[in-house]
Amino acid sequence: MSAVRVAGLSGGYGPGRQALRDVTFAAGPGRVVGVLGPNGGGKPTLFRALLGELPVRRGEVALAGAPAYVPQTERARLDFPVSALDVALMGAYGRTPWYRRLGRRERDAARAALARVGLAAVSDETFGALSGGQRQRILLARALVQDAPVLLLDEPLSGVDGASAAGIERVFGELRDEGRTLLVATHDVHQAARFDLVLCLHGRQVGFGRPGETLTPEVLRATYGAELIVLEGGGTAVGVGHHAH
Amino acid sequence: MQRALAEVLLLAVPAGVLGSWIVLRRLAFFAHAVGTVTFPGLVVAGPWGIAPQLTALAAALGFGAAQERLGRGGRLAPDAATGLLLVAALAVGVVLASDVYESGAGVDSLLFGTLIGLRASDLWFTAAVAAGALALDAALRRSWLAAGFEPASARSLGLRTARSDRLLLVGIAAAAVVALSAVGALLVAVILVVPAATVRLVCTRLAPLQLGATALAAAEGVIALWWADRLNVGPGPAMAVLGGAVFAAVALWTARAGGEVPA
Amino acid sequence: MPGWLTDPFGGTIMQHALVELLVLSLACGPLGVWILLYRDAYAAESMSHGMLPGLVVAALAGAPLLLGAAGGVFVAAAGIAVVARDERLGGDVGVAVCVSALFGLGAMLALSPAAPPRLQELLFGDLLGVTTADLLAAGALAVGVGLGLAAAARPLALTAFERASAPSLGARPARCELSLLVLLGLTTVAAVQGLGNLLLFALIVAPAAAALRLGRRLRTVLVLAIGLAALAGVAGLLVSFHLGIATGASVALCALVPAFAAMLVPARVRR
Repeated sequence: MSAVRVAGLSGGYGPGRQALRDVTFAAGPGRVVGVLGPNGGGKPTLFRALLGELPVRRGEVALAGAPAYVPQTERARLDFPVSALDVALMGAYGRTPWYRRLGRRERDAARAALARVGLAAVSDETFGALSGGQRQRILLARALVQDAPVLLLDEPLSGVDGASAAGIERVFGELRDEGRTLLVATHDVHQAARFDLVLCLHGRQVGFGRPGETLTPEVLRATYGAELIVLEGGGTAVGVGHHAH
Repeated sequence: MQRALAEVLLLAVPAGVLGSWIVLRRLAFFAHAVGTVTFPGLVVAGPWGIAPQLTALAAALGFGAAQERLGRGGRLAPDAATGLLLVAALAVGVVLASDVYESGAGVDSLLFGTLIGLRASDLWFTAAVAAGALALDAALRRSWLAAGFEPASARSLGLRTARSDRLLLVGIAAAAVVALSAVGALLVAVILVVPAATVRLVCTRLAPLQLGATALAAAEGVIALWWADRLNVGPGPAMAVLGGAVFAAVALWTARAGGEVPA
Repeated sequence: MPGWLTDPFGGTIMQHALVELLVLSLACGPLGVWILLYRDAYAAESMSHGMLPGLVVAALAGAPLLLGAAGGVFVAAAGIAVVARDERLGGDVGVAVCVSALFGLGAMLALSPAAPPRLQELLFGDLLGVTTADLLAAGALAVGVGLGLAAAARPLALTAFERASAPSLGARPARCELSLLVLLGLTTVAAVQGLGNLLLFALIVAPAAAALRLGRRLRTVLVLAIGLAALAGVAGLLVSFHLGIATGASVALCALVPAFAAMLVPARVRR
């Protein structure tokens, strides 16, 4: 019984502008899937397809429930009049009808989520006044409040300081143990190698499976199209230089 | 009438030269705003006995400085700052015109232009701005082009983009000021933006754009003068309707002729 | 209550003006906040300037101003939408062309006939000429807009804060953006009789600008915006009465002064 199942998914942003071809994979509950690929390789497109936001889409997508989406913090408005708690509370908007107030239960859930990411102390601070790492953790807390079985995370660790990154990865483990499925788009092959599964995209699906089996030189070359630079001794993981943003 | 004709022809020069930059550098809202904010300056010029061009220029430069300060440091989005300053100037102008100096019907000609009562000094002002526009363009066009294309790299090319951009804004302000007598404070865009935008629809290179815009501004200005005289309105509204119609025609024609039709 | 506060509001005319402004603040305050958060200030300014032909036609034909305003706003919005799609010209250039053409057309229609309509009242408002019918119509529109914005507050916030994740939280971004423009149009129609098409921008954007500087949470900001708009209405009428200056401009200035003053408050955002 998979939490995410995709078969023959293709699609794009307009007729004749196909961004993704033939993606087929499945992940059960309690799995963390790293989604690897270069810029323009289709990672955001895949997420949009899973969210039901892609204009042109063919193929099958089956999810255990509506997914939560954690965007990169740069995309959020820094001058928005919201506190950290307000942002976390947004996670409850989807399940609360417009005429019902957000009560004690939702507030407590938001505070608990902030505590899980280690930010209980700053819950009343203005979102835009906090550091990049803190803001990314708050967006993750928002997804926790959403209580979704599937979470899509867009480069959650890029540009985040070490302490925040460790906190975020710890929460990944917790969510996994709770039986949720995470899809984490990332540039960092080393990080992806620590996940349960990896999906390699370069416009089309290049490989899917456990990191040890999937992250072979051929797959990486097909994914990134770059020269392999470093071979780490004592393992099958390889380092690849990735394109500048 | 001869003076009016000369004025319109002289105005065509900054309209073409600087108007092209307004369109290329996306400064249309600024051009419209800098014209509108001169309204209170125009209202006080008569009662205070100062040349309207000077009070208008003072208002325009004050606006430019205020807009720069407000837009800096993320206090307010530039468009919002421009809008607030614009409406503040209008409100102040209304109070001055209706209650302090009782300008009465004269307000219409300040807002929409009139070429009655043009003096020789007005023509000299316009000629000076026209010459200044040509000089600025010759000196700074490379910098303006580079800054518009890619601001960060322009600085590394050794061009002082901040200063030259500020001079562009000053030039536009000056052009707006001399356009006031013809089209009025509220319709400055009609002469500074519309002809250049129309030519831009068919022309992508700078020199042909500037020449074409100057020619079109001159033609539209002359026809608008004649039409305004027939209808007994200021040249501003006449040129607005004429310019808008020409623009619409060219836009429709070029959209069908070449390129994709927007969905 | 002191005489200077109550004297102006003895007669029906001023009472009507006061009620109109108080009701308008329910719409203008929150709408302005969303307009600023969505960075639509230029759209607001353009729509109000470009509606002039509608107003003039209504005045010439003796039709209700509200009708002309609605028609004018619709044409302006449609024109702006069409021009904004053309990629050859940059964002504001096409809009500037459309707006100045429409505005000039309105001026031409107003200035050419033998019996011209009172153009300056259309431009700068006629607060003291508000009839009961005007009041009811504007009031209904304003209350409707206010309620609509209150009901849509969550999706509006989600979309403005971070658009891509909004759908996963139950919002429809495209619909939000369109609804906001429609509500802007309705508010413009409601406010034009009192403030005129050139000055109504002040009542929409200025209180909101001040509120965003002074408030830390969205709800505070929205309430503050309504309060500042209402205050601008009351203060504007008082100043207009006691100093004998134009009413619409007086209200506009009373909305603008707090906004500019609030800009002196330092921002809270880390840069």
